[in-house]
Amino acid sequence: MGLVNDTYTLFLREMLIFKKNLGVNLVRSMIFPILFILLLGAFGSSPKNVPVALVNYDNGLTGLQFINLLQAGSSIKVISSTTQQTAMGLLSQGSVSAVIVIPSGFSSAQLPKPDIYVYLDNSQPQSASVVNLVVGQVAAKLGAQLASPSVASDPASASVPVVTNYAYGAASNYESFVVGGIVIMVAAFGSVFSAGFTVLSDRELGNLKAFLTTPINKFAILLSKIGYGTLQSLLSAYIGLAIGLALGATVAAGVIGVIELMWIIFLVGLSFGSLAIALAMRAKQLQTYALIGQSIVMPAAFLGGAFVPVSLLPPLLQAVTVANPLTYAVNAVRDIMIKGALPVPDLVLDSAVLLIFSGLMLALAFMFFKNTSEQLS
Amino acid sequence: MVDYAIEIGNLVKRFGSLTAVNGVGLKIKKGEIFGLLGPNGAGKSTTINIILGLLAPTSGKIYVNGIDMLKEPEKAKGQIGIVTQETVVEPELTAEDNLRIFGRLYQIPNNELQKDIDFALRLADLEGFRKAYAGTFSGGMKRRLETAKALMHTPQIILLDEPTTGLDVQNRTKIWELLRRINKEQGVTILMTTQYLEEADQLCDRIAIIDHGKLIALGTPTELRQKIGMSTIVEVTADRDLLAKISQIFKKVGLEPKVLSNSVVAPAGTKSVEKVERILKLLSASRINAHNVSMHEPTIDDVFLKLTGSSARDDTGQYKDSRSMMFGRGR
Repeated sequence: MGLVNDTYTLFLREMLIFKKNLGVNLVRSMIFPILFILLLGAFGSSPKNVPVALVNYDNGLTGLQFINLLQAGSSIKVISSTTQQTAMGLLSQGSVSAVIVIPSGFSSAQLPKPDIYVYLDNSQPQSASVVNLVVGQVAAKLGAQLASPSVASDPASASVPVVTNYAYGAASNYESFVVGGIVIMVAAFGSVFSAGFTVLSDRELGNLKAFLTTPINKFAILLSKIGYGTLQSLLSAYIGLAIGLALGATVAAGVIGVIELMWIIFLVGLSFGSLAIALAMRAKQLQTYALIGQSIVMPAAFLGGAFVPVSLLPPLLQAVTVANPLTYAVNAVRDIMIKGALPVPDLVLDSAVLLIFSGLMLALAFMFFKNTSEQLS
Repeated sequence: MVDYAIEIGNLVKRFGSLTAVNGVGLKIKKGEIFGLLGPNGAGKSTTINIILGLLAPTSGKIYVNGIDMLKEPEKAKGQIGIVTQETVVEPELTAEDNLRIFGRLYQIPNNELQKDIDFALRLADLEGFRKAYAGTFSGGMKRRLETAKALMHTPQIILLDEPTTGLDVQNRTKIWELLRRINKEQGVTILMTTQYLEEADQLCDRIAIIDHGKLIALGTPTELRQKIGMSTIVEVTADRDLLAKISQIFKKVGLEPKVLSNSVVAPAGTKSVEKVERILKLLSASRINAHNVSMHEPTIDDVFLKLTGSSARDDTGQYKDSRSMMFGRGR
């Protein structure tokens, strides 16, 4: 009873201090999500208006049909050129990312149609691949309409009919993907920078020593700090999510999903809060602590697939992600936000990994905190 | 009924090869004001930290109101109110909330808490500032808030670690009055350390002096003065470069001088007036321009100096190393 009561008292103290600095705390919780969503969201979303020079030697109906299909999506911006030479000039200057040449007599020719030529500038691979993809899609579409014109740069697309369906995340976008990762990253940062910092400042001000001279169970101090860190994690994560939703992300699992997220974020806050206390007991100096904290959370978030899918990482790093607890947290959040449901086996696995990690970190924090009064006096 | 508020038996604390406290035994009676003195690094703070339950002794016993600190630390800690050397108040909390949190930690029941907070605010003379954040307080106000914080759970023992260090005269006097009052009115036992020896002299019923981890003197201020058999003290104050010559003059008239930072002192022994007359003559013959020549009753400062070989206050800010350069060091 004593431990619970004392923990509550010290937690109350953190809340009172938090309330005093409410404005600063909220702004601090908002900076990371806004910055990351704006930066990564812009970077990762599919490119728009990739400039392409188009040379039409055909002037027939089918050629125009092809051009209309090209312009239908806003991915490509068509710039008309009169000759292939001028178009290639634009490509060499870098003013366009590709040149598409529709051959003379394309419309009037019988099937198989003569080849449409695509010249790509692969020094900007992202743009080049977009052009490649769009032209392939357009050729397939036109092929379905006419039977089959072939495209020289991508012969496969015209000959083999491929039907693509989104099994998951049809309504999803890169924002949802990135926000899922950011929610977990700011959750980890939230507890590391709140729980750890209060331990360090309380040590500095002599509060830690003062608490230890009162008739309380000293682990109440530890638990109150972890509780505070966990709460800050939840706050940061939900602020991050709210900003993400405002900027275009979606939660496929809906309101229930938003509530389900709480459990995963709670576990991240608990484990990283405990880790923070253990670190703060060791680091002693604010600068050292901030450095160590950052160099743990950032790589952990990155290697957890927060920004880049784990499957795109090199094999060596992929092996590391298996041992990274944040991988499981990010997975769970993506399931909820993009797939629309967290399957029970996944829930069990992700929760188990995070619970075990929390247990280990809690034990570490207890271990480092045990002799704290000897260190302080 | 236990007679002693704090009882320490044969306390030893080693840090690796360093023995900080070496067999200290103390019995502090209920209702007395007890001063613990010693140069920096003498083992004073270590002893205090052990009494507070912050440090576990290597060996020895500590009883607080008859409760074994080593066996029931939480119960024993509840008996003591503490004012530490550094002023510990939370700047981000109001005066009232500072008290509320510590009141709860000292296990004051909820229905009595508000009453005790009001009592503490009155005691600290901070009733008008209950909703003000402690961060906006002056040093003296913070100190008073902290002292009130230590008193709010009405402990029977209060431990003050250099309670008036760095305070101005007005705030120091306020703290002294507060301590005297709670001691007289509520019979609270006070254990304090201080580097202001006149403070110990004025406030304390008994004084213990610790040096090199050992108890070297214990008694009332008067007893201590008598015990070391010190007579009137002769003191000559002068510029530092003259002190060596003055020291020679002291030796000529048969005194054993000690050179301090800006004066030379010695116990006068018998025929003190005659000796001072001779010193004055020799000073003028050698054309030494002294600022002041005085005779006074020995203070606790003098006792301290004689027993530990160092002046309590001059050691401030230095730790351990300062002990090797006790005399004649430049500042």
